[in-house]
Amino acid sequence: MPFVRHALFAITLLGGPALASSDGPDYGREVRPLLADRCFACHGPDEAQRKAGLRLDREDGSRAELASGERAIVPNSRDRSELARRILMPSDHDESMPPAEFKRPLTSAERQLLLAWIDAGAKYQPHWSFVAPEKPAPPVVADTAWVRDPLDAIVLSNLEACGWRPEPAADPTTLLRRASLALTGLPPTPEEVEAFRADHSDAAYEARIDALLASPRAAEHMATTWLDLARYADTHGYQTDNPSFSWPWRDWLLESLRSNQPYDQFVVDVLAGDLKPGATIADRVATGFQRLHRMTEEGGSIAEEFRQEGIADRVGTFGTAFLGLTLDCARCHDHKYDPVSMREYYGLAAMFGGIDENGLKPYSLPGDAPPPFVRLQTPEQEARTRELERQEAARRAEWSTLRAAALARFVPTTATTTRDDTTPAPDDAYSFEALADDATPNAVPGRKSASIDRRRPEQLGAVRLGEGARGKGMHFDGDGGLWLEGVSGIGRHDAVSFALWIRLGERNAQAALVQASGFYTQDADASGIELELEDGRLRWSAIHYWPGSAASIRTRDALPLGRWVHVVATYDGSSRAAGLRLHLDGRPAVVDTVRDALDGPLASHTLEVGSRSRGVGFRSGAMDELRAWRSALTPLQARLVARDDGLEVELDDETRGEHAADHDAVVVVARQAWRDAQRALAAHLDPIPRFACMADSPWARSTHVLRRGAYDQPDLARPVEPGALDAVLPFDPDLPRNRMGLARWLLDPRHPLTARVQVDRLWTQVFGAGLVETPENFGLQGATPTDARLLDLLAHDYARGDGSADGAWNTRKLLKRLVMSSTFRQDSRCSPEKRDRDAMNTLWSRGPATRLTAEMLRDQALHAGGILHEVFGGPSAKPWQPEGLWHEAGQVGNYVPDMGPNSRRRGVYTFRKRTAPPPNMSAFDAGTREACVARRGATNTPLQALVAWNDRVHIEAARATAKRAQSEAVGLEARVARMHALVCTREPSPEELAALVQLAADATRRYAAAPEDARRFCGSEDAELAALTLACGTIHASDGALMSR
Amino acid sequence: MNDHGRQDALARSVELDRRALLRGAGLGLGALALSEVLGAAPRATPEATAVPHFAPKAKRVIYLFQAGGPSQIETFDPKPRLRELHGQPLPDSVRRGQRLTGMSGNQAVLPIAASFAKFAVEPSTGVEWSELLPHTAKIAKHACLLRAMHTEAINHDPAITFLCSGAQIAGRPSLGSWLSYGLGSMNRDLPTFVVLVSKDASRDQPLYSRLWGAGFLPSEHQGTRFRSGKDAVLFLADPDGVSRDDRRATLDALRRMSRDAAERQGDPEIDARLAQAELAFRMQTSVPEATGFAGETDADFERYGPGSREPGTYAANCLLARRLVERGVRFVQLFHQGWDQHANLPGGIAHQCKQTDQASAALVADLAERGLLEDTLVVWGGEFGRTAYCQGRMTESDYGRDHHPRCFSMWLAGGGAKGGIVHGATDDFSYNVAEGGVHVHDLHATMLHLLGIDHERLTWSFQGRHYRLTDVHGKVAREILA
Repeated sequence: MPFVRHALFAITLLGGPALASSDGPDYGREVRPLLADRCFACHGPDEAQRKAGLRLDREDGSRAELASGERAIVPNSRDRSELARRILMPSDHDESMPPAEFKRPLTSAERQLLLAWIDAGAKYQPHWSFVAPEKPAPPVVADTAWVRDPLDAIVLSNLEACGWRPEPAADPTTLLRRASLALTGLPPTPEEVEAFRADHSDAAYEARIDALLASPRAAEHMATTWLDLARYADTHGYQTDNPSFSWPWRDWLLESLRSNQPYDQFVVDVLAGDLKPGATIADRVATGFQRLHRMTEEGGSIAEEFRQEGIADRVGTFGTAFLGLTLDCARCHDHKYDPVSMREYYGLAAMFGGIDENGLKPYSLPGDAPPPFVRLQTPEQEARTRELERQEAARRAEWSTLRAAALARFVPTTATTTRDDTTPAPDDAYSFEALADDATPNAVPGRKSASIDRRRPEQLGAVRLGEGARGKGMHFDGDGGLWLEGVSGIGRHDAVSFALWIRLGERNAQAALVQASGFYTQDADASGIELELEDGRLRWSAIHYWPGSAASIRTRDALPLGRWVHVVATYDGSSRAAGLRLHLDGRPAVVDTVRDALDGPLASHTLEVGSRSRGVGFRSGAMDELRAWRSALTPLQARLVARDDGLEVELDDETRGEHAADHDAVVVVARQAWRDAQRALAAHLDPIPRFACMADSPWARSTHVLRRGAYDQPDLARPVEPGALDAVLPFDPDLPRNRMGLARWLLDPRHPLTARVQVDRLWTQVFGAGLVETPENFGLQGATPTDARLLDLLAHDYARGDGSADGAWNTRKLLKRLVMSSTFRQDSRCSPEKRDRDAMNTLWSRGPATRLTAEMLRDQALHAGGILHEVFGGPSAKPWQPEGLWHEAGQVGNYVPDMGPNSRRRGVYTFRKRTAPPPNMSAFDAGTREACVARRGATNTPLQALVAWNDRVHIEAARATAKRAQSEAVGLEARVARMHALVCTREPSPEELAALVQLAADATRRYAAAPEDARRFCGSEDAELAALTLACGTIHASDGALMSR
Repeated sequence: MNDHGRQDALARSVELDRRALLRGAGLGLGALALSEVLGAAPRATPEATAVPHFAPKAKRVIYLFQAGGPSQIETFDPKPRLRELHGQPLPDSVRRGQRLTGMSGNQAVLPIAASFAKFAVEPSTGVEWSELLPHTAKIAKHACLLRAMHTEAINHDPAITFLCSGAQIAGRPSLGSWLSYGLGSMNRDLPTFVVLVSKDASRDQPLYSRLWGAGFLPSEHQGTRFRSGKDAVLFLADPDGVSRDDRRATLDALRRMSRDAAERQGDPEIDARLAQAELAFRMQTSVPEATGFAGETDADFERYGPGSREPGTYAANCLLARRLVERGVRFVQLFHQGWDQHANLPGGIAHQCKQTDQASAALVADLAERGLLEDTLVVWGGEFGRTAYCQGRMTESDYGRDHHPRCFSMWLAGGGAKGGIVHGATDDFSYNVAEGGVHVHDLHATMLHLLGIDHERLTWSFQGRHYRLTDVHGKVAREILA
């Protein structure tokens, strides 16, 4: 509505049409929106799309001499302005602007507006929302007695300019219902109404408001707005749409709102809680806000594609929630309207792309949180963790000291062998000399053979015997592999070693050699130990959840091609990269650490050799003499194994010393003690739920501009540093270039958007409509505020406070200020003239009238029946929904509704499945939570009446309300009136009462004659109960219930 | 505001002003469809100045969505060359380094798999049809076969979302909701956009409510899912023990209360809401009437096939689709899952074809006989095609195919699409488009064109941008216009 509003203001406030004023049309309100819509796509900020070198979004650009020699705009001269000439051309002319193919022609009134603007000097102004709000001067008004707050003066000044009076104060019942719904999402009880009617003085009102604001219900109500912004849901949102673990973030949010956490701290916590010094578990949980986006589990998904989607979602959500800007445009090109370059977009992407993730949620690890994560420990558990960590560190230090001492004690001997120098016997050994019945024997007596039995029907390819390092060896085609039936269950604390010969036929980009990391539906699925080839180099890993929770090393050099290489890989069970070792041809390999952050259990699969389902196998490779030990071979033993295999390997004193130290009786005991301490710590930690949050990692990939936004088109020549939006506010060089710096940037008192966006949100909560009609877009294409002074006054005061200790960013204080205002307290009824001229109530010429949200309608119905189960926080609840909805969509699992009180919790707790959202809430515009939403619709559809009549939740609530009315009032009429008061707060009007009484009386007679129907409808043959239930359903569908007026 | 001011405002922004006007007139966005339904005021047109933008060929659409990605190679795109090369690796010159999914992308070899199904020339059109689709072959003269469809997405979720909403990401309005918004309703008491999901399909890949969601359009434009069983529309059935008379009595009471409230509040929104409640009441009768199949003869059921007597099957849904368009539903979208044959393709696809072939063909023939095909566009197709090479193990009689976005087949019938023709061709491997490629955006542009809509002019302003079904793309496939 900005244009209607502008016109209205132009006429009512300036005393005549804006076009007639000496300054010409207003650039910000009238000209720029028009230029933005019709011109900026080709003559705006997007450099790549700019035509004819003309830039109309900036004054200097509009005046510049063009290649043609013309100037688009010559102030005060439409004759010399090329723009004027072009827009006046017939639309079929080649030079006509906007061009016909743009399909957005100018109307004649729009042409006149632009010409009038040029005539008046074509003045530019900065976009209102990019200039920091300043406290507006108080306007002069006549009726000063009406003004309770400076905001009232601004509202009143507009009304008086129209020659209007504000509406009188709403009656106490209406006002209390309105305030209760606005602040808590629940209506008052009849008793609360009665008390307030008896004393509705200012003091009594203020006391009620304070009580409402302090109630946990207020937090539950406000949470919905933030859950919409956070695209909070209880499932991952793609394809199978399995349950996610999300509600701890809702609990954090509820606690933040209940404690009235100042907004600046809220911003820091959700954006950068993990970067606070001494960050607590709660601080880390807060950052889960950035991890609640959808994640795919679909097999075959390409990791980088979805990693980039996740980052883009974080950037987009940040833009919508905190800046009120739509940043997504700049993902593929410079923003066409707002001053956001592609480079700046990727600067924000670098802010949010610092976590070590690959973007996929593995199907094979259901219920586990994608790293980074925080463990949701109770204080007692935290204390225990600290104790166990202390013990682990102490044991490790002891082991380290004792081992150093043992090393120092070592006396080099001349003997070539000692008792300990003998090679230990392997636990499994495959010499690959025979392949019969799809199996190759295990040389260790009593141990199982390796089989090529295909585990899955789609398993491809085969192995064959061929030339080996010794005798025959196993040759692989990349699709076929072997299963080591007897080797499985290697855990994170288990030592393990493998020795094998391999021969590469090509420089394999990726190839599974020996892996227990399992079935691949996607890259993220690997969990377990694995020995792989990566770009021809050996990589040796212990993985909980790739890549964020893993230890992994890789040889620096590629292996030679076409010759046998002897490999020994050892892992000591320490969970550290330092505990992984590789030996090539009997010598320690030069390796780099790829990851060193293993922080969880390994999945336990049977070992597979040379292949991986849906993964890349050992194409053109061969393998021989594969042996496995359930211990970590020492470097000396690795050499001895190589020597046993026929290599000439020297045994030096240093390796002997290491070996002796590792086998020193005292060291062995100390190492065992350390390992036991690690096991105890893990046993304590592993059952504790892990919650996905933010934590920047040194392993995270660097950010580049993506050409046209495509995940596989990084512009490697353009690495990007984390940054923000300079046109909004330059990034202070003293701030850290990370999410904490970004939060501080938002909270800079000079920031033009942060406070405005939040104040507008709070205004919307109270008044049902925003000061800016497009809360998701404060940018150039967004709506202009109904009155910028209102927004600026409140934003200024909110950010700076009133001088008191808790004045700044005090959300509760602002809400109180709004509901205490005279503007809010007005009656929502008004004259036909006001309704005609201020149809949208953009002048706040009367009190707000808003339709209740999906959550509020549900809560109100249950509350009226006295059966709302109020428990603050906790896991999501599954109230009744029609059967089969998940199954019919082909979703995994089915919806099992909660029974008992849990089915009657507030709507904010309802389980939200993204691909099959609760239908009774969808009917009232509750959305799907697939993406960040700043504003819900308030539509009007036939489905809404059907929900009120036939949704089981509403029927149950209606029946409870009817029963309650029967016990609290006497006589049909009184009972009907009681039900109305319970649901709608007010007494019914005489006509409403008459209609309901007639309905209930007729229905009582009808059910008395057919008690079976009464029983089927509400489980009792009480005809009046059935009739009242029917009447209450009608109340649920009526204006009194659906609206706050 | 004086008239001058309003006119100025009006002239400056159709969209914003339209919304203001509607609310000013007390209707609200939610009442857009309603005014049409009630035949009251002329429907205010959306952002585009006048819809239809030109004379439409089609008034309604039945979209038979085959979810999972049906293989084109066994159904519509015969490739004899594959038989010669069966078992040999796919040449790199064909693949040209294009991406594969993570499911077969890691296979060391990509062996070509020829179709087990045979093709024969349908004499009246000269078009080759698969033996798996004998019934569909009989409506060949109506079918406009698109052999060179192509898309960008390679996984189910993004791909089906793309076909159904013109974007791979969630949050955009679905095709049907754009039509509801652009064209409005044609009937008094049924939804404009109805979705039917086969209950007899194997649910190898799920469906999502976003596929028929309204995205950022007002939610009254979202598709209404009709289910088989008592509650054809969620919450439609009154509870046990509540009769039609009881419901009528509640509506009478609601009417009295609403009129009283409207008088006291002076808010015209109250009347609009009452009208929607009255529509709900009528739907309680009209929906069961439409879904009840009363009046269908044995011959009708036989035509659609044995499953058509059992509500919720694909066959029954095809029959229901005809009943719905007869009653003025603008857009009916059927979803039939089960086409995701990564393995065991021969058995799997034969089963899928058997389930859908007869009823799909019957629907087209039935519409033609009733004179409805002329202005009803029928669309048959999935979200992508399948690879010429085998995914997983290949045996003498068995193979599988992975997802393939580079080319796939669809067919249209009626509604101004040229019948009996083939448009577009793929290379010898059904791997790349050779000519006549139709991108998803092009399909959407063409469908809108047939409905009288310029796809570049049906827009909705959201987040400061004019959104279209076709984003900034789309070209009408003029070659297929009758």
